[in-house]
Amino acid sequence: MTQITNNITDVLVIGSGIAGLQSALDIGDSGYNVTIIEKSPSTGGKMISLSKVFPTLDCASCITTPKMAAVLHHPKVKTMTYTEVKAIRKISDGFEVDVEKKPRYVIEEECISCKKCEEACPVYLDDEFEYGLGVKKAISIPFTNAIPQLPVLTESKCIRCGACAKACPKDCIDFLQEPVSMTIKAKAIIAATGYEIVPMGTKKEYSGDTLLNVISSLQSERLLAPHGPYGKVLRPSDGKIPDNIAYVQCASSRDKSIDVPYCSRVCCMYAIKQAMLLAGALPLAEITIYYMDIRAFGKGYEQFYAQARAMGICFVKAKVAKISEDTEHNPILRIDRQEDGSKPQDQTHDLVILSQGILPTRKDFFGLDVALNEYGFIQSAAPTLSPALTNIDGFFVCGVARGPKDIPDTIMEAGSAAMEAVNYIKGKM
Amino acid sequence: MKNDNLKIAVYICHCGGNISDVIDVKRVSQELATYPNVVIGKEYAFMCSSTGQDMVIEDIVKSGINRVVIAACSPALHEATFRGALKRAGINQYLYEHVNIREQASWVHKKDKEGATLKAIALVKAAVEKMARQDELNTIKVPTTQRVAIIGGGIAGMRAAISSAAAGLDVVLIEKQSHLGGKLKRSSAIYPTNETAASVVETLEGLIELNAKIKVFCNAKISSISGFAGNFQINFEFDEAKTEKVEAGVIIIATGFDHYKPYEGEYAYGLSNRVVTLPVFIDIMGTSAEKKLIYDGKTINRIVFVHCVGSRQIDGIDNAQDNGKVNDYCSRVCCSSALFTINKLKDKYPDVDVMDIYSDMRSYGMEHETYYENASKKDILFLRRPLEERPTITPLPDGTFSVKTVDVLTWNEELELIADMIVLVTGMIPNEITDLLEYMKIPRSSDGFIQEVHPKLRPVESANKGIYIAGTALGPMDIIETLQASNTASSKAVALLSQPEIHMDPFVAVVEEDKCSGCGLCPQECSYEGALCMRETDVNGNVKMVASVNQALCVGCGACVAVCPTRAINVAGWTLDQFDAMVEAIAKG
Repeated sequence: MTQITNNITDVLVIGSGIAGLQSALDIGDSGYNVTIIEKSPSTGGKMISLSKVFPTLDCASCITTPKMAAVLHHPKVKTMTYTEVKAIRKISDGFEVDVEKKPRYVIEEECISCKKCEEACPVYLDDEFEYGLGVKKAISIPFTNAIPQLPVLTESKCIRCGACAKACPKDCIDFLQEPVSMTIKAKAIIAATGYEIVPMGTKKEYSGDTLLNVISSLQSERLLAPHGPYGKVLRPSDGKIPDNIAYVQCASSRDKSIDVPYCSRVCCMYAIKQAMLLAGALPLAEITIYYMDIRAFGKGYEQFYAQARAMGICFVKAKVAKISEDTEHNPILRIDRQEDGSKPQDQTHDLVILSQGILPTRKDFFGLDVALNEYGFIQSAAPTLSPALTNIDGFFVCGVARGPKDIPDTIMEAGSAAMEAVNYIKGKM
Repeated sequence: MKNDNLKIAVYICHCGGNISDVIDVKRVSQELATYPNVVIGKEYAFMCSSTGQDMVIEDIVKSGINRVVIAACSPALHEATFRGALKRAGINQYLYEHVNIREQASWVHKKDKEGATLKAIALVKAAVEKMARQDELNTIKVPTTQRVAIIGGGIAGMRAAISSAAAGLDVVLIEKQSHLGGKLKRSSAIYPTNETAASVVETLEGLIELNAKIKVFCNAKISSISGFAGNFQINFEFDEAKTEKVEAGVIIIATGFDHYKPYEGEYAYGLSNRVVTLPVFIDIMGTSAEKKLIYDGKTINRIVFVHCVGSRQIDGIDNAQDNGKVNDYCSRVCCSSALFTINKLKDKYPDVDVMDIYSDMRSYGMEHETYYENASKKDILFLRRPLEERPTITPLPDGTFSVKTVDVLTWNEELELIADMIVLVTGMIPNEITDLLEYMKIPRSSDGFIQEVHPKLRPVESANKGIYIAGTALGPMDIIETLQASNTASSKAVALLSQPEIHMDPFVAVVEEDKCSGCGLCPQECSYEGALCMRETDVNGNVKMVASVNQALCVGCGACVAVCPTRAINVAGWTLDQFDAMVEAIAKG
C-alpha cells in the first residue's frame, strides 16, 4: 500500500453532495484552501440522481452539474473522489485525517474518458446509481454526467477477460492498482455526510423489499429522470406503463415502531413533485397520495401543493396499514381513511411508491467523539448562537448530517458552516 | 468575410455520446474545417477533459490559433473552463465562443438526427462568424469598500454583523428601533432550547459590544441607498436629527417579519378581549399568576387554538389582504410554536382544557414531533378541519364563545365547542420595507417577502449583486434557520469582498462617441439607475452631448442598443455587427 503524507489544507469537507459542494465553494471563494473527500467515484451526492426539484421544477442534473464543475475548476478546492476517511485525530492545531483512495484500476492521469473499456466489457451488474433499476458494466463511468469522467472497475465482479485493456487506446487499465493511503492535515473539518433512505424492508407491513411493484422514492426519482434507466416510466415487474399509481407518505417516518419518530421533512414535497411529473409523463394515469399531514412549509411550497390539487392529483388522508399484492403483482393497500369514516378497505394500484424517510449516513465519525442527538444526527452545540458548531472545536456540520432538510435549507447550512469554519481559522491565525 | 489574420479553431465535443449519439460530429467538424477563416476543425470525446483542454492549448501555441469555438454542453457548465484554457495558452480569454449543441440540439432533437446535425452546423457557423468579429476584451475591475452595511438589528442582522466582523470586515448595523433584538426582545421561552428569547439576544448583544469593528446605529431611518456591488452608499438619519452617510461594499437586508394582525371580526378578533393572537397569548401566559390562568378579569378554563390565521389562505374563501391578494403561503413556524406553547400552558395550568383546530399539523423539525406527541398525551383535543372549511367563532352573552368547526377526525361532523378564550395562531407577514426595496431595486416574490435569485441554489442572494438577505425578510423561518441564513449571507459578503477588487465580465454597453448623435433616447430605456447618462464630452475637439456608460452598473441587457438610431452603442462581445453576421450564417445554414 503506497503511503503519501504531508497534505495540508485549511478546511477538509467530508462529502460532496450539495452540502459539501456548496460549503467548499463558499470557503474557496473566501480565499481559503479546501479539500473535499468523497467516498463515491463521482461528486454530486444524492442530488445529482434526482429527477427535478421542488418547487421550481428545475432539472436536478442541470443545476447540480454546474456546482460540480465549479468545484472541479475552483483554484482553491481540491477534490478526492473514491476516497474514504479512515480515521480523524484531533491535534493541537487542527486535525489529522487518514484517508484511503480506492483503486479504480484505471490510470487516472492517462484516461481520456472515451468509454471504450465500458463498451468492450461483457459483464453486466446492477447499477447502484439507478438504485437497482438498471444495469451497468463491470467497468464503467458511474453515470452520464459524473465528475470526474473516470471509469471504475468493480474488481469483485470482473472476470479478468482483458477486453477492456485491449479496447483502451491509452493502455491505462491497471489490474494491479492498489489502495493509496495518506494523511491530510486540516485546520477545520466540515461534516457534510448526508443521508440514506430507510431500507425498504424496514416497515415489515409494507414488504417494500419483496413486492416487485413497490418501489422507493429514490427509485421513482430515477424513473422520472430525463436520462433514467428505462427512458420512461415503467413498472419493474413486467415493464407495463402504470396507470394507477399511489404514494404512501410517512412510509418510514413519524413511526416509533421502526425507531424513526421524527418527520423527514422532504417526503411530502418530493411526493407532490413526483406526482406532478408523473401526471405530465402519463396524462391518463390516476395518482393518489395517502398522507397524514401535508407538510408544505417552505417558501412557495403551499402554492405548489395547491397547484398539484388543481392538476387532479388525489390526496387522501389515510394511514396505510399493510401492503400485499395480487397474482399480477399489483400492490394492494389496506387503508384506513380518516375522511369518510368507512371501514378499512383494500385498494389496488399498479405501482406504489413508498416515501421513505431519512437516516443519517454516519453515526460514527472516524474516532472523533462527535455528539449526536437521540436520532443519530449530529447535534448542534449552540443551536441559538451558531448552529453549525458541534461539541468538537473546529469540527462543523451542515445539511442532512444535522437532520433531515431540503435543498434550500441545506444550502443555507452549507454557507453557515463555511462562514464558521473560515472565522474559526482566522481566529487561530 | 475572409481575413488572413484570423485563425479560428473549431472543436466539436461528443460529450461521451450525449451529443455524438444524435449529432454526426464528424460531419460537423469536417464541414466547419473548410469554412472561411477556420484553420482547424476537430471532434473529440470530452473537450472538457484535461486531454481535450491540452489539445486546444497545443493548437493555440503551435498553430497560432487566435480564436476558438467549442460546440459542447451549456456554457453555464464549461465556458469558464475553456476561457481558462485560452488564458493558460497565453491569449485573451474572451476570444472564445461556446456553442451549446447538447441542451439545444442533441437532447431536444433525439428523434431527428439529420435535423440536429444541420442545426449544430448552423449554430457553429454562426459562432465562427461571431468570433471573426470579436475583439480582445478585458475584465472590468471595480475597487471595493471593505465594509458591510446591515439593515435590521434583530437576531438575523446581529448574527450577520458578528460573522462579518469576525472575518475582518467593518460592519455598520442600522436598526430603526431604539434597541437591538427585534421580535425576540421578550422574556418568553423558545424552542428547541427552552431558554428565554431575550437570552438569545443578550448573547449576541454581548458579542457585538465587544467588537470594535461593529458600529451600531439605532432609531435610524434610511433616506437613500445608491451605488453598486463593492460601492454602495447609504444615507440615514438616526437619534432624531443626526445624519450619517455610510459607504459599504455589501448590504445585508435583515429586516425581518411582522406578525399577521387579524382584521376586526376575523374569528371574532376585536369583538372580545379574550380573542388574542399567539404572540400576545405567550406574553399573557408568561406574566400570569401560578395555578389559575386569569385574564381580562376571568378565570380561563377552556381555550381554543385556531391554526393558519393569516396563512394558507384560499382565494374566494378568505378575504384579500391590503395588497389585493390572499396570504396563500404557509408560515412554517406556527404549528410547532403553538404546540410548544400548549405544552407550556398545560405544564403551568394542567386544569385548563385545550382544543386545537388545525388542518395539517406541520411540526416538521426533528424535536417538534415530540411537542405534538406530548400535547396529545396531555389530552389536548385536536380537531382537524378540511382545507377549505373555516371555523366560525361567535361571542356569547355570558362572555364565552361558541366555536363551530367541521372535524375530519370524526368523519366530517360539525362540532360545537364552548370556550372562554380563543388563541389565533397567526402567521408571519413581510415587514413594511417598500421604500428600502425601491432604493435597492429588489423585487418581492409573490408572497410579498424578498425574492431570492434562485430559490433552490442561491437562497440568500438578491437580484442586485452585492446585496444579500438574511433571516425572515426572505420568508418565514425559525430561530435556527434564521441564524443559518444570516451566516450564509455573511459568507457571501466575505467572499465578494475577499479581493480588493471585484472582477466582472466585460459584456457591457460601449459607446462609439463619434457616431453618437446625442439624441438622449438610450438613457430613457435603461433600467439600471446610474448605468447610462448623457454627458458633455470632448469628441475629437468637438464638445457635444454623448451617451456615457458606468461599466460597474451596466448589466449588458442591450435595451439601449435597441433604441439607438445610429448604431453608436453596442454591448461588448455582442455587437450588432456580430448579431447580423450570426443571423446570416444561420439563415444560410
